[in-house]
Amino acid sequence: MNTANIILIERGIVKLLKNPSAPLMGFGMSLFFLLVYNAGIGGIGSMEAFGTGGYLSFVFPITIISLAMGSSAGAGQTLNADMQSGYFKRLYLSPAPRWILVIAPMLADIISSMIFTILLMVIGAIFGVRFQFGFMSVLGIVLLSFLWSLTLCGFSAGIMLRTGQHQSAAIVTNAVFPLLFLSTTFLPRELITADWLLAVSWGNPVTYILEGNRYLLGGTSSAGFFFIGLLIFAITSILSVTFALLSAKKIKI
Amino acid sequence: MTAEIQIHRLFKKYPNGTEALKGISLEIQKGQFFTLLGPNGAGKSTLVKILTTLINKDSGYFIISGIHPERNQSKIQKIMGVASQDNEIDPTEKVENLLVFQGRLFGMMKPEAAKRANELIQLLELEKERDKKASALSGGNKRRLHCALALVHRPRILFLDEPTVGMDPVARATFWEVITQLNSKEGVTVFLTTQYLDEADKHASEMALIVDGKIQYSGTIFDFKKMVNPNSIMSLDDSYLQYVKTISNRESSNN
Repeated sequence: MNTANIILIERGIVKLLKNPSAPLMGFGMSLFFLLVYNAGIGGIGSMEAFGTGGYLSFVFPITIISLAMGSSAGAGQTLNADMQSGYFKRLYLSPAPRWILVIAPMLADIISSMIFTILLMVIGAIFGVRFQFGFMSVLGIVLLSFLWSLTLCGFSAGIMLRTGQHQSAAIVTNAVFPLLFLSTTFLPRELITADWLLAVSWGNPVTYILEGNRYLLGGTSSAGFFFIGLLIFAITSILSVTFALLSAKKIKI
Repeated sequence: MTAEIQIHRLFKKYPNGTEALKGISLEIQKGQFFTLLGPNGAGKSTLVKILTTLINKDSGYFIISGIHPERNQSKIQKIMGVASQDNEIDPTEKVENLLVFQGRLFGMMKPEAAKRANELIQLLELEKERDKKASALSGGNKRRLHCALALVHRPRILFLDEPTVGMDPVARATFWEVITQLNSKEGVTVFLTTQYLDEADKHASEMALIVDGKIQYSGTIFDFKKMVNPNSIMSLDDSYLQYVKTISNRESSNN
């Protein structure tokens, strides 16, 4: 990687550190979910369907998902600030490849998301979350989380680049939010009584990241969910990065 | 002399139907101080944007320093510096940091970029502002910083699109001193567009006049003045006004 690319990624990280509201909001929201749900309804974890990890391990994937949802707007905000100030044009006129101007703030976002994911896992472990396959579980969760973050971040940045309004970076989070409730977020499939909800959850990509993580944590799900989840979010990541890069071409300089 | 910028039959039409450039051809020699003049909306900024690879042309071609910019964009960016009409500054960064970052973006190592930033801070009299955030600078100092950013990587060709808009007279004088020195001592080619014709008259030697997307004149400033009024050489300002008036009268009578 050439120097220009590296320093643009560095700049993205520094920007995030100077204005950490987006990742901190995501982290705060995740911790809130972890503590409140476990405290409120953790008792039902003694049911067999929750596996040996209990409700804490069951609910933990939601905190991972929320983390990226809360922090995915960071890249969009950096790009928006650069466009508003005109600085994006100066970067555009540098020898750095133009794709890196969009990818760098996204990478910064994802690096921050990964750091907070690991921090959440440490907190989770302290609280008693069980990692079924030890280090391999940690790696698997980081990988799923990376693809999930990349998906949200790319679509967020792309929408922001097309609309030119920083508020629009939150559109993706708002669009994804209902999907959380149409999945196995709060209860395992065995305990969901509405057939329509079960049917919808099968077609909902969020189910695969939730269940994939649960396979790695408490072992309540199957490996199939994990691998299908990887495939789905590898595809959505490619689509979202492509969308962001194509959106960069639509910018009026 | 070698042509530093060769432009051949450039056409550009915007999606709203505006034909900004209608077959522009020009040659700017290495080390020349060239100015492109024309009324608002004539196509000056469009031409600069195309030459600096900010937007694409529809047809025709241009070569800069023997390189086709569309084939080797990053090579072209390394040899050109651009200061356009609007300030392109990150307001959250300090003056010195912005200059160092700009140098590093163009491949300089950190110590070299820091040294160059220091030189430009002194050259453009920004010493007192060095540690201030760009957002805290006065309008004139923002322009100085904007222009300094275009010079960090020691470009061989400078595109200056209305560079002194918003500068106070002192800042303007300092700026021109720097640019004319770069042109005369270091042989930097300057491509200037400006509405301040006194500045063009004072510093440039060659010019082109663009009206409604077409080049109406291309040559030396002196020859232009002589062409407009052979009996008494006027200022560029007066010659320009007279010439543009003649063109517009000619076009009205044709219509």
